[in-house]
Amino acid sequence: MSMEDYDYLFKIVLIGNAGVGKTCLVRRFTQGLFPPGQGATIGVDFMIKTVEIKGEKVKLQIWDTAGQERFRSITQSYYRSANALILTYDITCEDSFRCLPEWLREIEQYANNQVVTILVGENIRHNFFLLVISCALYVWSRNLILVLVGNKIDLADKREVHRQRAEDFAEAQSMLYLETSAKESDNVEKLFLDLACELIREAKQNKLDNNDTAPMPGEGKTISYLSCCNVN
Amino acid sequence: MADSGSVPARRCGSGSVSSVSMDTISALTELEDLENIYQQLCSEEKEVEAELDRLVGQESTIHTKMLALQRMGPKLQLIEGDASQLSGMITFTCSLAENVSRKVRQLDLAKTRLYNVIQRADDILDLKFCTDGVQTALRNEDYEQAAAHIHRYLSLDQSVIELSRQGEESSSVDASLVLLQEAEQKLKVIVSEKLDEAVAAVDLAQVERFFKIFPLLGLHQQGLARFGQYLCTQLAAKAEENLILATGGDVGDKRAPLIFADTLTLLLEGIARVIETHQPIVETYYGPGHLYTLIRHLQEECDKQAQKIVDKFIQQRGYHNKFQIVQNSMLKTIPELDPVLTEVTIMNARAELYLRFLRRRILADFEVGDIQSITKEHQQNVEKLLKHCQLSRTMQELIGYYIPMEEYYMRESVNKAVTMDTYEKGQLTSSMVDDCFYIVKKCISRALSSSSIDCLCAMINHANSVLESDFREVLYNKLRQGFPATTLQDIQRGVSSAVSLMQSSLQQGKFNTLGIESTENAKTAFLNDCAKLFTQGTSSVEQAKIESCLSDLVNTSTKFKDLLQEGLTELNTTAIKPQVKPWISSFLSISHNIEEEEFNDYEANDPWVQQLIVNLEQLMCEFKVALSPVIYDTLTSLMTSLISIELEKTVLKCSFSRLGGLQFDKELRSLVAYLTTVTTWTIRDKFARLTQMATILNLERVTEILDYWGPNSGPLTWRLTPAEVRQVLALRIDFRSEDIKRLRL
Ligand SMILES: Nc1nc2c(ncn2[C@@H]2O[C@H](COP(=O)(O)OP(=O)(O)OP(=O)(O)O)[C@@H](O)[C@H]2O)c(=O)[nH]1
Ligand SMILES: [Mg+2]
Repeated sequence: MSMEDYDYLFKIVLIGNAGVGKTCLVRRFTQGLFPPGQGATIGVDFMIKTVEIKGEKVKLQIWDTAGQERFRSITQSYYRSANALILTYDITCEDSFRCLPEWLREIEQYANNQVVTILVGENIRHNFFLLVISCALYVWSRNLILVLVGNKIDLADKREVHRQRAEDFAEAQSMLYLETSAKESDNVEKLFLDLACELIREAKQNKLDNNDTAPMPGEGKTISYLSCCNVN
Repeated sequence: MADSGSVPARRCGSGSVSSVSMDTISALTELEDLENIYQQLCSEEKEVEAELDRLVGQESTIHTKMLALQRMGPKLQLIEGDASQLSGMITFTCSLAENVSRKVRQLDLAKTRLYNVIQRADDILDLKFCTDGVQTALRNEDYEQAAAHIHRYLSLDQSVIELSRQGEESSSVDASLVLLQEAEQKLKVIVSEKLDEAVAAVDLAQVERFFKIFPLLGLHQQGLARFGQYLCTQLAAKAEENLILATGGDVGDKRAPLIFADTLTLLLEGIARVIETHQPIVETYYGPGHLYTLIRHLQEECDKQAQKIVDKFIQQRGYHNKFQIVQNSMLKTIPELDPVLTEVTIMNARAELYLRFLRRRILADFEVGDIQSITKEHQQNVEKLLKHCQLSRTMQELIGYYIPMEEYYMRESVNKAVTMDTYEKGQLTSSMVDDCFYIVKKCISRALSSSSIDCLCAMINHANSVLESDFREVLYNKLRQGFPATTLQDIQRGVSSAVSLMQSSLQQGKFNTLGIESTENAKTAFLNDCAKLFTQGTSSVEQAKIESCLSDLVNTSTKFKDLLQEGLTELNTTAIKPQVKPWISSFLSISHNIEEEEFNDYEANDPWVQQLIVNLEQLMCEFKVALSPVIYDTLTSLMTSLISIELEKTVLKCSFSRLGGLQFDKELRSLVAYLTTVTTWTIRDKFARLTQMATILNLERVTEILDYWGPNSGPLTWRLTPAEVRQVLALRIDFRSEDIKRLRL
């Protein structure tokens, strides 16, 4: 890993109903274009973009999943290894907003990180040994960052979901909220770069907490806020 | 010439500038000055004379040149005459050429017009010929001939026909045209009817006969549609027959669990065969690029029939039921998932194979026309047809159910293996580890056999999750029950199994045992296998997807590996160190400040090292039987490091006589010799510092160290710093500290 040309590698997975614009967001960010008339995503698409943040090379592995129901089980398998999930809905489509709780339930179910309990044994030597292994295992579980994105704000006159509603919902679920337009390239860059900042912050924090060289250290599951951070 | 011109000018110049003027001379009064001027004038005179001589010398050369010039005069007059004559000739030729080319142009124009006239005459004749021919052919029911005439008529230049109608023969041409148009309509109707009849009569020869006529009448789309319909009817009949056979029950036990996969295979192979058979006709009579249209028609039927098979499959196998059970985990027993999962993966693999076949054929057909002609639109159409057809959707749905069921199967089987875990004494690992990895491997292999990369990736993700959570849990429970040694085995087994899982998923038969270190190799091998499996159409994106998912699996195995290392280090610290440390410290109680007598006594009755070796032997024996060679080796390595560190600390607390140093040297040699026999690691390196300390303690004089130090060290690399060397020297009671201080190291 150290041989490769980056300081951090993060897995970001985009999820949300079909047609809300996940593929367009990813294309806008990775290729700088708004693809005309591309079809619904089949299975999962995979793209990589390396960005530089405060002098550090961050490789973002972006998984663009298909929103259609029949691909759901493929999508679910990616939740657990993701560092961040971008949950997307379409502000002109009430339905895509109403499905959010369902998505969150799914995330809960599939992204669950095991909470490791420290064991207590009778034999002291053995117990100490257990403790060491427990700590090693403990380090395996990671934090998962969740971002809620309302896309298609260029279609302001067709808006069906009010910003306040979405913000309230996001806050209740401890998610960051951002409104974007893949078409007008509004907030797209910000979405991914802020997320990268937050992921770095998280990784550094965990490294500190564990004082350890484990590649992706972390604590038990917490869903964290995405605080604003400046790029460069 | 230039010379002769410039001479007078120069002379003039020199006369007025360089000569001393008369006025100056007259004004002179001193003799000395006069003499000076005189001298000056004399030298100037000499110069002038020399100049004059030089000029006179040039006269003859100039004369010769002048003569030559005079002789050239008449020749120049001759040239002028020739030149004007030439110019006259060129002008003449030019006008002549102009003249000729104008005529040629006129001729050319005339020729073109003539050709046009001939063409038109031909066309008119053809028109007449066609008109007559069509009538005759129609009367004789020679539809090919009739169509050929109509085709000839349709390929005539329409503007020419228009022109002809304005000419003198307009009425007759008009009449022909009307007749032809009537014939065209009539023929179209007849051919359509005949084709319908042939289709109804299932008369392939006749169907093909009329199918070939359609493009002659410009009815490509219609022809392909009707022919497609015909082929679809055939396919449908066959497919229904097969499905009835499949569900009839009488299929023999062996194929019964795969009967729906077989039926789907029959359908897809049937369509592929139809395409293969009829491609030449389409290409010959319709031209390249039309196969796509025919396949589009066939795909509609394929979608319909495949759906029927899948519906029957879902119904008879209780596919959705099973999914529901899995979803709700209603029953604690695993429903019979194995066969149905296998069947689904085969079905998907067949569909993928079939769709790849279609893509290849369609693109090849476009390419026959012109490689350049495969436009983006073509490509998009093909993608749309293949990716979004009902067959694809149906398969995607099946796979969508398959993944959670396979995951459930994997998880439950692993759980079952764990509960049935047997640990027999003398066995290094529990059966559970092998069982777990066997199951995981089986599930990944099955996902791989579906040929769907997304399905494979999803199952790799789930496998990783099972290993990271469920399997990890298991290790915990074992620890809780107090089997640290076995648990270490299990972890180690886990590491190597994760490696071999990737490596052997596909490499049946080619299994070679790689060490723990080669997870990367295993990943590469696995990727190669995937590449081989998906040779057609594995894009770099798909490769990257698999690679990324596998990386997670590699990470898991690395975590197991780290865990193992930590466990072993801990074992060393908690189980070995407390015992070994006092054995080493007992060295302190054995005096090494000894004389001849005691040295001999030690020789007879070993005071320390033999007991240490016996103790170590006993300690390690316990581990040797309980641990696998790899782990045992790692542990002995940790132990030898421990011994060398502890012994070093102890030795530095002792004092030595000359013979005491010799005694220590002997003891150290015995210990190293023993440890070399119990480990495969080279331990000389670990004992390098101690060996060097023994060498120092064994010296005759302080200065003897210089025979081994610096430029004299030879092949020996000192691991001790100069300060440490002095410290060790100071342990010898017979070495004076001034001598040691005086050493220049
Ligand atoms: N006006 C507007 N249209 C958008 C925007 N983003 C996406 N779209 C349109 O929404 C449609 C769906 O976009 P996709 O990116 O394919 O949606 P998706 O979420 O990837 O859909 P699936 O792959 O089926 O899950 C397309 O027609 C896009 O042109 C946006 O920001 N503004
Ligand atoms: Mg998409």
